[in-house]
Amino acid sequence: MSKVQEIAAAVENGKVKIVAGLVEEALAEGVSPSEILNVGMIDAMSSVGEKFKNNEIFVPEMLIAARAMKKGIEVLTPKLKAEGAEPIGKLIIGTVAGDLHDIGKNLVAMMIEGAGFEVIDLGVDVPADKFIEAMKENPDVKVVALSALLTTTMPALKDTVDAIVTSGLRDTVKIMIGGAPVTQAFADEIGADGYSEDAASAAVLAKSLL
Amino acid sequence: MRHITVNIQDELKIIGTYKPMPRPGFSFPGSPKYNTPITPKENTFRFLKGEGLWAPSGADFVTLCPKIIPDNIARAFVIDAEPFNNADNGGGLDMFGVEWEYVPQAGGSMVRPGSPLKIPDILQWEKYITFPNLDDYDWAESAKINAPYIADGRITMIWILNGLFERLISFVEFENAALALIDDEEKEAVHRLFDKLCDFYDDYITRLHKYYQADAIYFHDDWGSQRAPFFSLGTVREMLVPYLKRVCDSAHKNNMFVDFHSCGKIEPLVPAMIEAGVDVWSGQPMNDRLQVLKQYGDKIKLNFGPTAMFGATEDQVVAETSAFLEEYGPYIRSITVSTGFGGGGKMYEMVYAYSREAFSK
Repeated sequence: MSKVQEIAAAVENGKVKIVAGLVEEALAEGVSPSEILNVGMIDAMSSVGEKFKNNEIFVPEMLIAARAMKKGIEVLTPKLKAEGAEPIGKLIIGTVAGDLHDIGKNLVAMMIEGAGFEVIDLGVDVPADKFIEAMKENPDVKVVALSALLTTTMPALKDTVDAIVTSGLRDTVKIMIGGAPVTQAFADEIGADGYSEDAASAAVLAKSLL
Repeated sequence: MRHITVNIQDELKIIGTYKPMPRPGFSFPGSPKYNTPITPKENTFRFLKGEGLWAPSGADFVTLCPKIIPDNIARAFVIDAEPFNNADNGGGLDMFGVEWEYVPQAGGSMVRPGSPLKIPDILQWEKYITFPNLDDYDWAESAKINAPYIADGRITMIWILNGLFERLISFVEFENAALALIDDEEKEAVHRLFDKLCDFYDDYITRLHKYYQADAIYFHDDWGSQRAPFFSLGTVREMLVPYLKRVCDSAHKNNMFVDFHSCGKIEPLVPAMIEAGVDVWSGQPMNDRLQVLKQYGDKIKLNFGPTAMFGATEDQVVAETSAFLEEYGPYIRSITVSTGFGGGGKMYEMVYAYSREAFSK
């Protein structure tokens, strides 16, 4: 097993304590930071996402894999910067106004980060204005991801999409939505570009929207 | 096989009305009292042993969430003889000092994400948690105030809103709680916490029976999302079943049963509930209830019912109850039928007549 494969296996299995050391060893052996990132981290998290989607693993296993990846990324980030590597895209995520639920949103953010995005997480109960403000502050944002868990806050998804249209920034981003009561039909109805039903699919969708 | 002749029409004569618990903000008529041959309470306990005369449903139960329990105010779920408007006054500190915020859009309370964690380090939770002293609550006075509404021949069911995993979430947030269930270093601390919580629940449950003559606890612990369990069956068996079993044992030793309210698509975890001794599972509709009933109906009851709720016309109620009985009727011996809070009326009568007839054969 190559060192990068070892890293991927450690990430996938949530071996938090050994990932950083393995990354350092791989770098010392001359493996490029990009290869470690793409194969050791992103591919590993993609595999984690697939297993999660298929109910082969569950939330704790996915979280611990993400935690392991973060340990590796901490070592890798300065090297990636030195190499001039860029994230595959920048994404803003948040739970819409009136909704305090963050579990699904956090899992989606984690998997999208694991897919190589830079993620700006605005948190929960985010008014439409705050999304627009964040888009203006980050003109290179490619995707906006909106979450709602409640049927009573689904209208806030539409309000946020409408506000983005009104702000004149709609053409600069793709918008994806998700949450327990949300469906593809609702996404179509409110003019979002995509919907996904779980965190792993959200990461795939975000990449496809680039 | 013996077929006992029963006069269902006579049994469904309304002979009184149970005094309705005040629910400010809601309009709940008193549940009708029917001319049943045995009390709903006696029937329900017989039903749990496979010897009921009918399938228990809404009007057979009275729900109590005492106001003296800070959790019920914090979670905005007080149902008590002393009127309390949950929407206006819900939220605040629970029994462990965790701050909850009432969310109008949800009709309930949450711990606001990002709030300072009650337990910043699960390994040292003993430093951060003070267990409530249940002697601090005026149980006798609360029991006196509520006495006219409960323990009246129906099943008195008392909600315990924060189960084991939910309690852990309230202390450390969801992600930390989920991770702690599989992290080798943190698992031991979780075992210690759950062990102590079980001592607490034992005292709590014993008092619920002693003061309110409670017959059942409705124990809240969500185990899944709309698409899957949060955790594997193996994790549940290792980390939750031993403690849920102790909660069930506490209820059973007080002659109470356990209705386990657990949301999410968690049918793969039903074996864990059975191993823990759960009597009834109140789950959500995304589960394949027919399959669960077929596979486990002899080991656990399911609580669910027709979807018609308040405001439905009688035609709608009849249509939905008929559809429910057509689909699930063959398994009615394994279902406590949810018909809404205190629900009597046509839905109750249809379920009663159907099951009474079926059980008399």
